[in-house]
This record gives sequence, structure tokens and C-alpha cells, in this order.
Amino acid sequence: MMTLFDKVMALYPELQQQDFMTVITLQNDSDGNGDYIAKWEHPTLARPTEEQLNGR
Amino acid sequence: MPITINGSGTVTGITAGGLPDAIITQPELAAGVAGTGPAFSASRSATQSVTSNTITKVQLVDEQFDTNNAFDNATNYRFTTTVAGYYQFSYAVKGVATGGTLQAVNSQLYKNGSEVIGGFVTGSFLYQTVVSEANSTGSILVYLNGSTDYVELYGKVIGTSPSFGSAFLTGFLARAA
Repeated sequence: MMTLFDKVMALYPELQQQDFMTVITLQNDSDGNGDYIAKWEHPTLARPTEEQLNGR
Repeated sequence: MPITINGSGTVTGITAGGLPDAIITQPELAAGVAGTGPAFSASRSATQSVTSNTITKVQLVDEQFDTNNAFDNATNYRFTTTVAGYYQFSYAVKGVATGGTLQAVNSQLYKNGSEVIGGFVTGSFLYQTVVSEANSTGSILVYLNGSTDYVELYGKVIGTSPSFGSAFLTGFLARAA
């Protein structure tokens, strides 16, 4: 099963590791609700929608 | 009867047996006096699986001590104190990945759901050699309001089949508000 990170990378393969250290934060609060996008401040790539992610 | 000292140095108002016990609160302590403020030590030794590249709250399920019963090691894994002041925290997260694929591990203290220091990632580093586990450590002084503020430990591992191998978070009141 693809993780959220896998889905994001599949959608935007041009993303670099550095992006996940600065402008993008994937987060899990260990509350049973799973991974989510806590921050998306990429200068050129739009925040993925649930539909885009669910289509992966 | 109040305790008084007259001009001749005579003290009145002290009963036999000496001064009564006094209740001194944290703000009333003189400079340089350490009080008995809250202190705790929480950790986990069991593996916690995580998703690569995803900042994840560490489930600190074990307690070594918790003087004021202010750390929740069962549900939210957070420290919520009733004593306002400045708290010194120390923490560490061991990141693990299989087959020498570990690329980075970091640890961060979150206050009220956000990074204590925004945009600053503590203890993060990248390995150029083949590594399967490494520790990320940090320490920070944080003000807590003694009512609604809380802190939690988060970590992130980048690698294949990542996990937190172990972790700890300790804290104590360094200075009252």
C-alpha cells in the first residue's frame, strides 16, 4: 500500500528531499488518523487534492 | 500574632518550637534557590513503525518518574503542567531503517501542536555511508503557561521500512514564571 509520501512523489516526481525539509511537511500525530499534509508551501507545485492523492 | 523586631533587637511573635511552617510558592523563592517544581522522564524502548519522510509524534509509553503526574503516557503522550514557568527539555530519537538505507533522522519538540522554533529542525543529519540506525538529540528551554500549554516529542526518519528504535523526553521547571 502506498504511503502518503509515495503518493506525493508519484504525483510530483520532481520533488527533492530538500523540499520535505523546508516547504512540505507530512505529519502523523499517532492518533490513529494516519499521515496528512501539515504544510505545503512549495513555490511552484500546488498542494495535492484528496482526489489526486486518492487516485494513486 | 505577627512576628516583630523592635529597635532593641527583641523578637516577639514566635511561639515555642520556632517558626511555623510556611508555604512558599515558586514565585516567592529568592534568586538562586531551586524549588520542587515539576519534573518528569518519559521514554519508549519498543519499536514504533513510522512512514518515511513523515514527522511523527513519538509514543512515549514508559515513565521513569513524573513528580506532578503531568505527563500523559497513555493517550496523547504529552506534558501538560499546572505550574507556569520556563522548562528545560532534553530529548532523543533513534531512527532505524533496514539494509543500511537510513538517510536522515531528526527530532523536534512541539508546543501546542507546532514546532517550538518554527522552521528549525534539530538533530537532523544526512549520512553518506551505509547506516541502519542513528540518534538525533536536542534540548531546549520553553515557557509553559501552566494551564493550556503542552509539549510533545516528534521525530522523522528517512529510509526504507523506517521506525523509531527508542526515544526519550525529560523535563523540569528551571524557573518559575
